Amino acid sequence: MATGLVASHWTVLGMATGLSAIFLANRAALLRFVRARGAGDDAEDVIQEMWMKLEAKDLGPVADPLPYLYRMANNLMLDRYRSATRRERREQDWAEGAGGVMADPSEDLAVDERMILAQRLREAEKVLRELGPRVELVFRRFRLEGVGQRQIAEDLGVSLTTVEKDLQKAYRAMLALRLRLDTE
Amino acid sequence: MNGAEAMIHEAAIGWVIRTRDPEFTDWEGFTAWLEADPGHAAAYDALMAADADLPSLLPENPVGMPEPANDPGERRSRPWRWVGGGAIAAALVAAISIGSWNRTDIYSVTTRPGETRTIALEDGTRIDLNGGTTLRLDRKNMRFAALDAGEAAFTVRHDAADPFRVTVGEAVFEDAGTVFNIVHASGATRIGVSEGKVIYNPQAEAIALPAGRALTDDASGLHLMAVAPEAVASWRQGSLVYANAAVGDIGQDIARSLGVRLTIAPGAQAMRFTGTIRLDRNPERFFATAAPLMGLSAVRQGDGWVLKEGHGPQS
Repeated sequence: MATGLVASHWTVLGMATGLSAIFLANRAALLRFVRARGAGDDAEDVIQEMWMKLEAKDLGPVADPLPYLYRMANNLMLDRYRSATRRERREQDWAEGAGGVMADPSEDLAVDERMILAQRLREAEKVLRELGPRVELVFRRFRLEGVGQRQIAEDLGVSLTTVEKDLQKAYRAMLALRLRLDTE
Repeated sequence: MNGAEAMIHEAAIGWVIRTRDPEFTDWEGFTAWLEADPGHAAAYDALMAADADLPSLLPENPVGMPEPANDPGERRSRPWRWVGGGAIAAALVAAISIGSWNRTDIYSVTTRPGETRTIALEDGTRIDLNGGTTLRLDRKNMRFAALDAGEAAFTVRHDAADPFRVTVGEAVFEDAGTVFNIVHASGATRIGVSEGKVIYNPQAEAIALPAGRALTDDASGLHLMAVAPEAVASWRQGSLVYANAAVGDIGQDIARSLGVRLTIAPGAQAMRFTGTIRLDRNPERFFATAAPLMGLSAVRQGDGWVLKEGHGPQS
């Protein structure tokens, strides 16, 4: 994957490719992706929204335009998911708040929340530490600094597989923690 | 979570990681996975939402790579691990940034005759060193070891994409899922495989050694033979198991395992032995039992021992 990727990166940079043209040429594939991504009947709407965003701002030439478009579609779907769950939660809060009075965010609550947050930070730190220093390092580089797996492998002098496994391990533990905190 | 859900969860984590990578391009592959089951998109969305919260959960302190404690002067004979709790804590004190790691990555681990040591590598691989052994390891590449002298048993965490390689002189042994033992002494190399498979010189001869196979490489060339899997690295359980082995080789094994100076009389060198010899830290007691077992006699000579033909009286 890595070598092919570098090659396409450079060839595409040399060409002034309009994103809109790439979008139109790959519309069917993007629609298929958005549908599979869970948009269902709204898939056409999502694609339309994408088109409008592309037309609205002139992004100029982009390296790897097709992956860029896919990522854009994926981000749109993540936004939809986020706003849907937020709406759900709001409605749920509303239903649970007897009499419909919104809770007043008092000073006490903020202190309480800070304590909970500090507790969560400690837990996350412990989970990550238990995975071992290399796994922790790989995870931080990847998730917090946004460095790609190939680059991390190169920097550490380990194989890509090792980095992939470290990340899988770290993600498994960290997501499990995150989901557990959610239900607490 | 039932089995199917757990599998989806696990696969979804993989896609969260891949799609998060700035270099990710396999969107068709991702589409195919999503299309395989409507539950896939839901699992991915839930995990991506959890992933979005991770930065708020992570403190800022940096970490360094572990610096394996490797000072034989201080840690003489007790078995040690690098990645046990204490070692991690110690390693974290020296937080080194990525750019400034030193390049002295190769280091040696040595045991004196009679001393054994176990090394646990971070990837789950375990290396047991018998006495009189020198092994070189690479901090930067945990899937590598060089056996310079002596005997070591490797219990390798197999990874087809990143095989574990042991070099012995010019020869390379590559694991294919494996427990194996290598002896390197007096210009000869012997390897026995008890589990899985080892490839000898994958770039040249590429001889596959499945469990129950042994290979010797000495002045007379390469020889393949059968070996009882339970006999491989039996020294770890305190015994030496042989099938038609040359007494000369056995003598080296004994010397290494017990830490005694042992000479094999010329007449006994080429004799063969089949059976199990129990190791005993007390040389007198050991030779009193072992020598007759091999049809030999043991004689004390200076600070060492001599094994010779015949059932002569022991002194």
